[in-house]
Amino acid sequence: MTTLSGSLLLTFRELWAMRLTQAMLAVATLAWLLLSFALNMDVVEGSLAAVRIFGLESTPSDGVYNEETGEWVSQALSLDKFMIGINTFVFGAAYFLGTLLGLFATMPLINGFLEHGRVDLLLSKPLSRPRLLLGHLAGVWITVFLLSAYLVGGVWLSLSVKTGVWMPRVLMAIPIITVMFAVMYSVILTIAIATRSSGLGLVITYGLIFFSIMLASHEQLVPVLSSTAAAIFMTFYHVLPNFIEVVTVQAQLVEGEAVTTWYPLISSLIFGAVLHGIGFFWFSRRDF
Amino acid sequence: MSSPVIDIVDLHKTYASGVRRKKVEALKGVNLQVPPGEVLGILGPNGAGKTTLLKILLGIVHPTSGEARLFGQPAGDPAARRRLGYLPENHRFPTYLTARQTLDVYGRLAGLASDYRGEQIPRLLEEVGLASWEDTRVGKFSKGMMQRLGLAQALMNRPEVVVLDEPTDGVDPVGRRDIRDRLRSLKRAGTTVVINSHLLSEIELVCDRVLILNRGSIIQSGTVDELARQGTGWRVEVTQLPDGFDASAFHAEIEESGRSLIVEDGKPESLNALIDALRSQDTLILSVERHRASLEAGFIDLITAEEGGS
Repeated sequence: MTTLSGSLLLTFRELWAMRLTQAMLAVATLAWLLLSFALNMDVVEGSLAAVRIFGLESTPSDGVYNEETGEWVSQALSLDKFMIGINTFVFGAAYFLGTLLGLFATMPLINGFLEHGRVDLLLSKPLSRPRLLLGHLAGVWITVFLLSAYLVGGVWLSLSVKTGVWMPRVLMAIPIITVMFAVMYSVILTIAIATRSSGLGLVITYGLIFFSIMLASHEQLVPVLSSTAAAIFMTFYHVLPNFIEVVTVQAQLVEGEAVTTWYPLISSLIFGAVLHGIGFFWFSRRDF
Repeated sequence: MSSPVIDIVDLHKTYASGVRRKKVEALKGVNLQVPPGEVLGILGPNGAGKTTLLKILLGIVHPTSGEARLFGQPAGDPAARRRLGYLPENHRFPTYLTARQTLDVYGRLAGLASDYRGEQIPRLLEEVGLASWEDTRVGKFSKGMMQRLGLAQALMNRPEVVVLDEPTDGVDPVGRRDIRDRLRSLKRAGTTVVINSHLLSEIELVCDRVLILNRGSIIQSGTVDELARQGTGWRVEVTQLPDGFDASAFHAEIEESGRSLIVEDGKPESLNALIDALRSQDTLILSVERHRASLEAGFIDLITAEEGGS
């Protein structure tokens, strides 16, 4: 157990030494401090009548004309919708920006891990290669989990205390961000193990993320493609991670709706599991 | 005789590189047994297979065929590495860690308990002369300091076998002496040490046995004396050599000073013929002594002969 903790500790320290990790923590802190202290809400009969940020008041936009009474009625925003809106924004920022920046930030981490003079010293220690790699991966996963929990959890807690509306389902964003980060990280790691180039791994991972934008519109694209092209496209859809479509799953979870399909998340998880398997296999077999 | 701590039998390693998977034979049937307590030096030109041999022993590189055992267990077995310390060539510690944190992290990786690490770290830092740098980040260390820290790291678990790849690389003369002293104390304590070094003088001063690798094969193995003796001859000192004296007729070579000769073939017949020739020309002989070539000279002769014969 001590050997694994050494591998974990090394990864934590390395991540903490990176400026970007510290910057992410600072941004998350700023986000929930802003919501805690700078945001004031006027709640009237369970609806949001006005929002003040740093003392600047913003009332809900134009009123609605009531034909029966012939009066303009102020359009109040329900607190639930406000909570969902803020949390969706935070999730989106953490999911997209956090993942893209996080993957970029971890590139030197992988380089360092596989560097000559570092990896051979690590491999000379009395722990198996899978255990060593697991320690590295677990360190990354735990850090991403803690960072997203700090941001999403902090924002959720701050808003819930302010509004009195507690929607624990928004916390589902934390495991989703962590899991999807792990899926995308497996691409960089596996390619870096095979080629010793984490840069190539990062380019391919970003490519997969952008390609998943196309995969997400498969319902619109497939009907206009030839049967062969459609078959190829759908093969990609089933095999590659559906990074963008997972956002729909999260949105439905936050809004409290029944999730239409878990498939994008499940297929992405399978992709990640297979890539991790390949990564572990190569790491165990190759010479350093 | 006690069973060897390192036992290598018919070890082969072939690397495939490039798009065409061009094959390079790094090791060609190496056999080696190292008994407990021996200090073994591995010599060889660049690309001879020295580092590959050590890495297979540590499970960092997989052999193509053959067997490498450490303490009777297969070399790749993590349990065997529990009793081993390793200092790789050009090792890199994370630059953001301090010397103390580095030893702590690598001590954890070696499976050492917290209390034990707490005792060992200050002691080892003191021994390698880094006690006053314990809270300094490794990124600020010189190459020599990194080597000292690397050595401390390799000794954290009080290993029974220590494998050192270029331990004195980048270390100043004083630091080299300290490392040599440390190796001698390991030897006294009965630790088995395997050293791969380009500095033949280091090997000469510390090792019980030397192994010379070239092109993936062991071409010579023996004590420092045995290897150096292959270049043993006679040294004859004179007041002044006669003009135009032909030393080569006596298998001898005139040294740079012009006042001494080395009879390279070491044969008494050659020596006596040379003395007769010198005396016949009234040359005053000041001394005649055994001349032992350095390990370096022996090494170069062996490698040159090997290259010439291939």
